[in-house]
Amino acid sequence: MALLEVTEVSKEFGGLTANQDISFCLDQGEVLGLIGPNGAGKTTLFNCIAGHFPVTRGKIVFDGRDITPLKAFDVARLGLARTFQIFQASGDLKVAENVMVGAFMRTGSRRQARGRAEAWLDFLEIAETGQYMLSELPVARQKRVALATALATEPKLLLLDEVAAGLIRAEIEGMVTLLRRIHQEKGIALLLTEHVLEMVMALSHRVIVLESGRKIAEGEPQAVVKDPEVIRAYLGDHFVKRAGEASHA
Amino acid sequence: MEAVRNAFDFSDFPRLDLWVAGGVLAFLLVFPALPHSSFAMTIMIQFLMFSLYGMGWNTIGGYAGQVDLGKAQYNGIGAYTTAVMMVRWDVPFWVSMPVGMALAVGWSFIIGYPLFRLKGHYFAIATIATSLILKDVFEVWDFVGAAKGMEIPIRKNLPDFLYLQFKQDYYYYYILLALFLVGLLYLNAFRHSRLGFQLRAIKDNEDVARSLGIDAHWCKIKAYAVATAFVAVVGSFHACYNFNIEPEDVMSLDLSILIAMMALLGGAGSLWGPIIGAAILVPLKSYLGDWLGASAGLVGLNLVIYGGIIMLIAAVQPRGVWGMVEAALARRRGDHGAA
Amino acid sequence: METLLPELLRSLVSGLLMGMVFALVALGLTVIFGVMDIVNFAHGEFLMIGMYTTLVTAPFLGVDPTLTLPLAGVVGAALGLACYFGVVQFLLRGPMVAQLLGTFGLMLVLRNVALLFMGSEPRSVHKGWLVGQSWLVGPGVVLESTKLAAAVLSIVSFVAVWWLIRRTKTGMALTATSLDKEGARYVGISTERMNGLSWAIGGASVAIAGGLLVNFWPVDPNVGLLFTMIAFATVALGGFGSIRGAFLAGILIGLIVSLPTVWDAFIRFAGLGDFSIHSFKYTFVYIIYFLIMVIRPQGLFGWKQ
Repeated sequence: MALLEVTEVSKEFGGLTANQDISFCLDQGEVLGLIGPNGAGKTTLFNCIAGHFPVTRGKIVFDGRDITPLKAFDVARLGLARTFQIFQASGDLKVAENVMVGAFMRTGSRRQARGRAEAWLDFLEIAETGQYMLSELPVARQKRVALATALATEPKLLLLDEVAAGLIRAEIEGMVTLLRRIHQEKGIALLLTEHVLEMVMALSHRVIVLESGRKIAEGEPQAVVKDPEVIRAYLGDHFVKRAGEASHA
Repeated sequence: MEAVRNAFDFSDFPRLDLWVAGGVLAFLLVFPALPHSSFAMTIMIQFLMFSLYGMGWNTIGGYAGQVDLGKAQYNGIGAYTTAVMMVRWDVPFWVSMPVGMALAVGWSFIIGYPLFRLKGHYFAIATIATSLILKDVFEVWDFVGAAKGMEIPIRKNLPDFLYLQFKQDYYYYYILLALFLVGLLYLNAFRHSRLGFQLRAIKDNEDVARSLGIDAHWCKIKAYAVATAFVAVVGSFHACYNFNIEPEDVMSLDLSILIAMMALLGGAGSLWGPIIGAAILVPLKSYLGDWLGASAGLVGLNLVIYGGIIMLIAAVQPRGVWGMVEAALARRRGDHGAA
Repeated sequence: METLLPELLRSLVSGLLMGMVFALVALGLTVIFGVMDIVNFAHGEFLMIGMYTTLVTAPFLGVDPTLTLPLAGVVGAALGLACYFGVVQFLLRGPMVAQLLGTFGLMLVLRNVALLFMGSEPRSVHKGWLVGQSWLVGPGVVLESTKLAAAVLSIVSFVAVWWLIRRTKTGMALTATSLDKEGARYVGISTERMNGLSWAIGGASVAIAGGLLVNFWPVDPNVGLLFTMIAFATVALGGFGSIRGAFLAGILIGLIVSLPTVWDAFIRFAGLGDFSIHSFKYTFVYIIYFLIMVIRPQGLFGWKQ
């Protein structure tokens, strides 16, 4: 059964079309990759799905409910969480408190929120960071905190916007393992956009390719990267080699 | 009752903070018994009043980071409700105070709904505008005495606890101190509450907050209402303490800004901030006024110095005195390295 | 009809003229805001200092108050520069709160320095070419020379500032700074200098406005706040940073402020009693500001969010 159904969604800013007639489905418990060159409209699509932007046309159904007109906080309450490309919390909240804010979506009790926040920090293997300020942590940890905060809202579907950006190779591998655990142990469906294609390839069941706001391909990761249109439009010649290496590894 | 437990939970403060706080509390409790001038007593009462104002403002201005410069209108609503009910219908303070609070909070919802569509300085200036509108109305409204305001008649049998009229200032002092402690405990519970956390998340980043299921607009309105309740209660008290109120006095822009100053100077978004701010600003303002204004005949110089200090703090340490203390403590601990 | 029509005309004319004065007062604020996104609470105090400059220097130099306007402009520009380099540039590093508070502190300082030196009683200019001159231009419509001069100067200043910003190299640099600070820095524009320049222009224009205003508006140290609020309303109505918008919005506000006079004339004429709304003159300004910000935050002509 489809958890998320996006039907012919378009988003225009003034005269500029950022997304045009995009349709796709995401099944319960699925991991779906969303790739495309810079400016393809991935983040805009995320913002539309998560309710940060109203869509210009189209329909978005999540978990059997039409969420097209809903605001971001209502969407979040239905169980659709997201992370942001740039996660900067400059203010007064410590790491554990940040995660508690997520947990507070489902409980009014501070004791429970704290317990759940600690559990999520533990699950993401950053339990020791709880009393630090976010800005005191290295980037890889900050990303995990963002993940923990989103997970603390107990979502059914998690939208991940470039969680691997700015990470070094070893950290990316750690992130892949972590996301796999989130998916397998917690049964949470994932929709991820990524520049780091190895990650999308390693995790996704299916991949969607966007270019200039349009969907140009959809299918199994290995099949999609061999699609000549995708290679031409997005990946460029040099990537054919790298994709080959990745599949051998 | 988790809220009650939260109210008494100060465990996240370092031991040093709590010792200082305990010392200050002990001093506040015994102050009237110590030898003091009546001027000092006035300053202490002012200090408690402005602490409460600042504590209220801190919920919206500090925790939620919305610079509200229109709190005087709610002070006016509280003060006028108490005065009108006392003068016209002979209603005791303890009845008129909650009524004034309810009226102020009701008005804050009406104003807050459109107000919180605005952000940054647009919001700040709009709060000033709303407060000035209400003040203009009160200045011509005959029912509340228009520009010359209202005077509460002095009762026959003093001390009168129902109508809050006393000959000796220490009665006022202790009643205010009780309100102060209740307010402090309430705020301690507030900052541990779901709303408290959500407001801080909003201050950090509104988009992220929304993605965590937080209705930022509604949360701000709620925090605004809490702040309003604090200010209105002090307004009611002010009416009884001063006997005489007028719009220029209880609803002025200067008061609005002074209320914000308490928390900003002390450290917005921290529990102690407004109290520290009031402890510095109130005596500073009063003593400067007394020495330079009344004694030396240099009317204005006190406010020049006062304005200069505000400017200096804004330029040097926007996180307030508490920010300076925390930074100094952190430097001394020297354990700011990341894990 | 004999009484209503002249009353209406008179209000219209005085509203138009006052509106141009308001626009001139707001001009400096909109220039500063356009370039650097900062709200200056002390704006009305700059006006007050311009007023005192003319009031004090005219008898001292033994010249007509009108001739001291350039001096008021110089004082205003110097004050703007001093405030920018002395205080405001430090405030820019902090959060928005710091800017609000810092300029509020500045307002207190300027206001009370004036109080120290000038005392609290309102003062006005009694002699001068403009003072007391007026012409009857229609049935019951009086054109006061002071207001007319202020209106003319307002138009001249707007054209001058518009020309400066649109047609000169410095103006281009100012515009570039307001659109994109980083970008301006890359092409070698000193944002510090541009910010300082905007404070100089802002200070000069508002101080000149003060020098004219004092011919028909008594000055005291607290006169600033009302004009600060009016200037905020004007700038908000016109769209923060829009020069053309500020001019039109100023006129609109002038007309709004003259509305109560029309209303009073109307109810007197219609015999509806004496429910005067005259004391709400400026309340309407605040209400308009509030409504505009809520309904159309970019103002009527604005482009900045």
